[in-house]
Amino acid sequence: MPLSLSDPNWYPIASSEDLPFRHVYQGQLLGRELAVWRADDGNVNVWENRCLHRGVRLSIGINEGQELKCQYHGWRYANQSAGCTYIPAHPADAPARRIENRKYPIREAFGLIWSAANDDQAYAPFPGSDGHDWFALRPMPVNATPEDVVAGLARLAPDDEPADLLPALVVRVGGVTWFVQPVDAGRAVIRGLLPEKPADELATLRHYNELLTKLRDRLERAAARKPAPEPLQPVFEKVSADLSTMPDIAVPRGNTLTVVVKRKWQSADGVIGFELADRDGKHLPTFQPGAHIDVHLPNGLVRQYSLTNGPGDLSRYVIGVKAESASKGGSKVLVETVREGDLLQISEPRNNFPLRRDATRTVLIAGGIGITPLLSMARFLDKSSLPYELHYFTRNDESAAFSSELGVLHGHVERHAGLARDAIRAKVAAVMGPYQFANHVYICGPGAMLEMVQQVAADLGWPDEAVHFEYFQNDKVIDSSSAFDVELARSAMTLHVPAGKTILETMREAGLTVPSSCEQGACGTCLTTVMEGEVDHQDVYLNKTEKASNTCMMTCVSRAKSDRLVLDI
Amino acid sequence: MITLYDFELSGNCYKLRLLMSILNLPYDIVPVDFFPGRQHKADWFLRLNPFGQLPVLKDDDLVLSDSGAILAYLAKKYDTSGLWFPDDPAITAEVLRWHAVADDITSTSSAARLALGYDYNFNIEKSQRGAHRIFRLMDEHLWFGEKAGRDWLCSPAHPTTADIACFPYVMLSEEGGISRQDYPALRRWTDRVRRIPGFTVMSGIFPAGPAKVD
Repeated sequence: MPLSLSDPNWYPIASSEDLPFRHVYQGQLLGRELAVWRADDGNVNVWENRCLHRGVRLSIGINEGQELKCQYHGWRYANQSAGCTYIPAHPADAPARRIENRKYPIREAFGLIWSAANDDQAYAPFPGSDGHDWFALRPMPVNATPEDVVAGLARLAPDDEPADLLPALVVRVGGVTWFVQPVDAGRAVIRGLLPEKPADELATLRHYNELLTKLRDRLERAAARKPAPEPLQPVFEKVSADLSTMPDIAVPRGNTLTVVVKRKWQSADGVIGFELADRDGKHLPTFQPGAHIDVHLPNGLVRQYSLTNGPGDLSRYVIGVKAESASKGGSKVLVETVREGDLLQISEPRNNFPLRRDATRTVLIAGGIGITPLLSMARFLDKSSLPYELHYFTRNDESAAFSSELGVLHGHVERHAGLARDAIRAKVAAVMGPYQFANHVYICGPGAMLEMVQQVAADLGWPDEAVHFEYFQNDKVIDSSSAFDVELARSAMTLHVPAGKTILETMREAGLTVPSSCEQGACGTCLTTVMEGEVDHQDVYLNKTEKASNTCMMTCVSRAKSDRLVLDI
Repeated sequence: MITLYDFELSGNCYKLRLLMSILNLPYDIVPVDFFPGRQHKADWFLRLNPFGQLPVLKDDDLVLSDSGAILAYLAKKYDTSGLWFPDDPAITAEVLRWHAVADDITSTSSAARLALGYDYNFNIEKSQRGAHRIFRLMDEHLWFGEKAGRDWLCSPAHPTTADIACFPYVMLSEEGGISRQDYPALRRWTDRVRRIPGFTVMSGIFPAGPAKVD
């Protein structure tokens, strides 16, 4: 029976104990090399052993606990989803949402790690597995064809008690169940299970190890006399168009996921925590620190909430909601009417607040509910052992949320309760200090605090690109009274933008496909390069320096001060 | 003052750089053009080491050769903790046993690397087979070691020069076309070596991330 690349069977590919924390195991199944690693939360990942950037083996990469870091250019991939969370060559940007490594199905059972070449067959425990406390033997790699290895194992049986040959290369001889992992056409690993833990574990392990060593030597001598089989030639699928191109419309509003409210609790005075999970227990999409989701509320409103999760924590999303929010009917609905067990529609995570991981010093400043994205950032920095300090300003001790989550961080976390406005300002100034190269500050909190910290930062000589903050919405009144022409350089087209219509709308009417998302100048999706003309910036996405450079604009709200704009579209 | 006659890409020279980094010993380097210049066979070098092999280490007027011997010298002279080359006769024997394995790894894994990357006329297939034979035994030794609570090649609860001596050409084996996929316990041991405080890298040997802290 020749091996098939599309064999749907599940095979053991490692022992549980092969996967200590912070290790990357190198495995192979049916010709495909695998990088297998256990995250700090216990979850085991089985991925193609190839970084999709430059093809370097991920098995030489670094298991950072909840992310795997490629050794070559440092791309980070998240536990569970294998989604890319950080690209060091683009430290200020959030990686495209869809970059994701190839992963294989995984199950941990009976002291072994099981996987399959594809998802065609659901995992089922091997026959007779019930009711035993299985004990894994030392695996034995053999350079022989898997079928010859199966035959060799069967010959271990005494004549009066022949071996049981089961499907998927399983041989039962006496009390031992032997699994043959088909590594490649000419290579296999024998993995044995005893139904109970033996009295003298070490002696038993040695006994079977000796038995298998002799069997291996016999099988390899026999294999050396035969022509070596051609290795399997797995086809490495090309990166899909989805992955390698920009999506036409970045995040259509209607593209939602249904999640269930797993837990709702009072995290602090005035802060309610919500834990949202997939209904079938699958993992949720990849996110990066600073990311938020849109939550579609029962009353039809859509509100944005930052994720508080740490790296590779995709089993649930945890958000914090301010109970007495001024937003009429927004957070109020969540707090008052949504209960545990309810279903909610959310968007995939988006990130307008990306965290650089190349700073020599990172200062996180949170005000009130603004702790949520900064908690996520602190957790990422913490796992990567990067230096950071987190300052959390609250009205009083009782309103400090996520205390236990903050308590387990290793970085410098300081709470400041009940400070008056001037005292907060003085504290922020003292904490930030004069600007030094490669320092970055991230602020999230009430609008007044955002402006105050920006002012303090400017006074201390911090450049705009070192001061990071996020607006979820543009509260400014958009002035759309101007009328002007836009010349689209790449499309060789000149369009007239009349008063009352946006550049984006005008371009769409002319048949162009242009990405956009929030359409209120807050999310950054429609960012466009400006080649000529003077921009009338009305967004809250670009910072002062970017606006002053006059080289880019948001076409959803911003307009022209000049009669004509030339855009790189 | 210590002077190391060094070739940057030599695993045997790296053994000494690694131990001196761990022991925090300052030293000077004299680069020797092993490849392609073959300076280790030049008259001036043969006067230092008639065997024509790197590394050579000078400690003031004392001239030493052979990486394993120099590891023992550095540990005995400069390691105040006494852990890297323990005095206990049984453990000394254990360490020297693995120093000998390290030489076998050099003559197999390193030979395959020299043949593939440095134009050396060694039998590639034979060298690779020899390395696999040793790696199998090391993997078994380390696997049963883990079962018995032993993390290192020798029985003490800490690494010794045996681990330093065996490490480089295990890590560089892929450059000789020798995969370590079949040696999971050996791969885990290389993680542990790379987490020794003071560990340093060389070309082809990457760092490991930090261990999990609770």
